[in-house]
Amino acid sequence: MKIIIGSDKDGLELKEYVKDCLEKSGYEIVDKTPKGADDFVDSAKSVAQAVVEQEGANGILVDEYGVGSFMVANKIKGAICAVVSEEHSAKMTKDHNNATILALGSGIVGKKLAKEIVDNFVGSEYSGGRHQVRVDMLNKML
Amino acid sequence: MIISIGCDHIVTDLKNHIIEYLEAKGHKIIDNGTYDHIRTHYPIYGKKTADKVASGEADLGIVICGTGVGITTSAAKVKGIRAALVRDITTAKYAKEELNANIIGVGGRICGVGLIENIIDEFLESKYKENFENDKIIEKIDQIVEDDSQVGDEEFFAEFIEKWENGYYPKK
Repeated sequence: MKIIIGSDKDGLELKEYVKDCLEKSGYEIVDKTPKGADDFVDSAKSVAQAVVEQEGANGILVDEYGVGSFMVANKIKGAICAVVSEEHSAKMTKDHNNATILALGSGIVGKKLAKEIVDNFVGSEYSGGRHQVRVDMLNKML
Repeated sequence: MIISIGCDHIVTDLKNHIIEYLEAKGHKIIDNGTYDHIRTHYPIYGKKTADKVASGEADLGIVICGTGVGITTSAAKVKGIRAALVRDITTAKYAKEELNANIIGVGGRICGVGLIENIIDEFLESKYKENFENDKIIEKIDQIVEDDSQVGDEEFFAEFIEKWENGYYPKK
């Protein structure tokens, strides 16, 4: 699975850590912001647009709180982004919402938790079924 | 304050509790549903709640589903909405003070009721800190979507609701 990642300057360190973990697990990583974007609007937009264009790709966004990236990524048609600070939501949002983008706050979660959240997100699958009507609704928006 | 609120069928009781909690504080509530526990679809209520905020009918909005992700994502996909999904008070405060968030989302199966009440209090009571940096970021967020024709369109999801009722989608 291809994972497209990006962060602003505040999220750079955690983004690098997550990238390193995912590379060690064998994922193909596309880093949209090797030096950290000037702000989370730029990083979230570029990652969300890339994820929407590439079927099967996932995205990971990092800024200080995560919530800014969430706000921005969901403004892109076809993007479903979840900001998460615990493992359960990371799994459930993939399973139920078909979220393809995960947003993390580098000031909110530590490295250990961030790794567990990312592993739960990329390791879970969308279950479809009754959830598809809701995903179709989200994808019609904007 | 006039507050627009919405939820899915998983957390209707929690939403009813939050309405009572906010009414006791003197707020006027617009309850966009859902009103019972019959299986329904979170984007209907996320969009309804957000439309009222985007149109100016309500000052701020609150959305709740199981994890909060689905309903807050649908609210975020309304032009003019800056929706913050949070699990802590610190992020709620940041979202209001720096990003002037106008919708707060929480997961009713993720946070306890005490934390949710405190998140909402912080969101409603914090004030936007107007300055050049914050204004610039907010303008960038608001400019991503140009078209506002979906705002207030109550038939927007009609095709999907009809397909659901006709058995097009599996019920499991």
